[in-house]
Amino acid sequence: MYSSVKDSASCHDRSDSVVVPNDLPVITLVGQPNSGKTTLFNLLTGSNFKTANYAGSTVEFSVGKFDAKFDFNALIIDSPGVTSIHPQSPDEETTIDALFHHPVYKLPDLIIVTADSSQLSRQLYLVHQLIESGFNVIIALTMNDLLEKKGFEISAAKAEELLKCPVVKINGRKGAGLSDLIARCRQQYEMVMFENAKGKIKRPSPPTEESVITLYAFTESIEKQVLLPKEKPIDIKTVNKKIFNVRSHDADEYSVKLDKLFLHPFWGLVFFIVSMSAIFTSIFWLAQPIMDGISEGFGLLSSWTSALLPPSWLSDLVAQGIIAGIGMVATFLPQIVILFLFLGILEDTGYLARGAMLIDKPLSKIGLNGRSFVPMLSGFACAIPAIMAARTISNRRERLLTIFIIPLMSCSARLPVYALLLALVVPPDKPWIAGLSLGAIYLTSLTIGAIAAGIISKLAGKKGNSAFMLELPAYRKPVVRYILKGTYYKSILYIQKAGGTIVFCSLFIWALTYFPNTEPAISTEITNNLTREEVFKLIEFERTNTSYAASIGHMTEPFLEPLGWDWRVGVSLISAFVAREVFVSAMALSLRISENGDDLQASMLESMRVATIANSDKPLFTTASTIGLIIFFMIAMQCISTLAISRKETGSWKIPIIQQSVYSIAAYIAALAAVNGLRALGIQ
Amino acid sequence: MAIENKDLEPNPKPRTVAEMGCGECATICKLSGEHLGQNSPCIKLLELGFTPGQLVTIIAKSPFQDPVAVCVRGTVIALRKQEAECIQV
Repeated sequence: MYSSVKDSASCHDRSDSVVVPNDLPVITLVGQPNSGKTTLFNLLTGSNFKTANYAGSTVEFSVGKFDAKFDFNALIIDSPGVTSIHPQSPDEETTIDALFHHPVYKLPDLIIVTADSSQLSRQLYLVHQLIESGFNVIIALTMNDLLEKKGFEISAAKAEELLKCPVVKINGRKGAGLSDLIARCRQQYEMVMFENAKGKIKRPSPPTEESVITLYAFTESIEKQVLLPKEKPIDIKTVNKKIFNVRSHDADEYSVKLDKLFLHPFWGLVFFIVSMSAIFTSIFWLAQPIMDGISEGFGLLSSWTSALLPPSWLSDLVAQGIIAGIGMVATFLPQIVILFLFLGILEDTGYLARGAMLIDKPLSKIGLNGRSFVPMLSGFACAIPAIMAARTISNRRERLLTIFIIPLMSCSARLPVYALLLALVVPPDKPWIAGLSLGAIYLTSLTIGAIAAGIISKLAGKKGNSAFMLELPAYRKPVVRYILKGTYYKSILYIQKAGGTIVFCSLFIWALTYFPNTEPAISTEITNNLTREEVFKLIEFERTNTSYAASIGHMTEPFLEPLGWDWRVGVSLISAFVAREVFVSAMALSLRISENGDDLQASMLESMRVATIANSDKPLFTTASTIGLIIFFMIAMQCISTLAISRKETGSWKIPIIQQSVYSIAAYIAALAAVNGLRALGIQ
Repeated sequence: MAIENKDLEPNPKPRTVAEMGCGECATICKLSGEHLGQNSPCIKLLELGFTPGQLVTIIAKSPFQDPVAVCVRGTVIALRKQEAECIQV
């Protein structure tokens, strides 16, 4: 029901390949969400693990080997957090199914269950289910410091006696108790290694009210026997059973106090809005200079390469295709790193779950979940990290819906396009109108997103099963090392998973704009008075103009004409698939030269103002057609990288293809309606 | 479906967790999700630890009174109103 960023943090992939011999002991880590499972996994494996998807699903699991320092050669499999062995959501089902029949590995020889000792009766519920199913279980008790704050400590020896399985106290933050845990694993494995696990392990039948209540009665009785008051009371009778039970079932005192502020109906909301705006603006502004730097750096690298290599299609492929493609992957990195850094802090402190709770109500109205908020907000910076951030939503339907609407959020790559187009329609002496319009564009994009989500969830029907039961973990001071490590691995994961697709797609676009006329002939009449650089630009433009992309542009002309656009806009739109801001440079390229070849220096705006539709004297960029373009950009999914990441994160081409077609058609219709509506009002 | 704690006196005026005020503490007497039919979250709620006889405390309520943060068995769980209404105290 609830997974977390931490769970996805475990999908770091560093070692190139973990060799998997079949005879190694297999140890699976199981635990409830927030029980410290992923921390333990990281501690046990060092960094030696890789991730994979369960066949046919997007649920990820990590597999690694014990860190060499533990001197225990065994495979260790992490799994997403579950509250019970009886799955309630598709993702939980995959996790539990894999426990009984792992698609790749044999049945686990041992299971290490992490149990938060500050809420023992709840955590022992899952532990007992696993023991009952016949698994060889070792319990790792976590969060002992939280329990101590409540005034209790746990007797591991007593628990071991009652549960008949090894119980080890560990401290995930300090790494204490790990060697003891490994020793017990080795010991236990030697005891069970010749056992035939297959016959022993049975999947329990679905729970009934009675079975759950009986099981809880059992875990409660164990809890009462193993919990000891931290300070021995003077009179043992004062530890009256009832008081005892109540106190150990209290929430963490410190967290309750903090929640008085963070979940306050008014101040909680204020804090939420302020902190989210701060994060949003920092993704936007903090990353911008770095992104510009990277972008410039790769631009330089690209031009050096083309200068060094002899001019041929190969040099262009390297400079414009490969280097530019890799540059694009790198350009997104600063935003992704900053976003994951903040998400990591929010998650590890325990605030993210609170934020999700605060915003759940309004989002549930449009079929989303409280957890959809952060991805949607990130979408205003860039859809790539935003779609990746949607992993924190455990309900598959809500996660897919969130991914579906993220491309509608007005990402930062659209900003240069809006800036250019707004400058065209807004009178130069009234710049405040442009600012106001930009604000309106952002607000409208959010509204369109909300409407789209509402429509889709109405169409998809079945609202009933969207439950929101989210544990609010105790506030903890985040461990900086873990956050940095998690951010590092997630960024690496982005490069590995999305990087390849993005480079591949940008190569495809490059080929479309480069072939077939690779060496266009330019008449010497035009080139006579031009500098070398200008001739290069001219050649580049001529090549693009006669490329496959241009042919497609010409093919689209019948569709573009009702909007007042011509094929040049079409070509620029196709080029913009590499990245939206490319629209600006593509438009510049196509206009400056096709209007009059010698006018290379003319300002972009001026040439756009004077541009006319081919073979006529009608202006190309009228108020109506420009507003139409803005609206087109607001809705259309003009981004090959978004398409690639959507494919990666949803596990198939289905969602990205639907997104691409629905948004393209909707963008076209909306632009058409706007242009003709404006014309009907007399605005040309 | 109704899961009752037979040891407890029947509450003359049954209320649900959704109706409890902030900071209020009560004992669960019954889980009932009949009004939600097939989508009854009762089993899930039970598995999370909301069993009859347990003490629940409202830690906080969202600005829209939904979801509510409920303390049970040493942890805090946020529940939507729809689920909170299934827990009678």
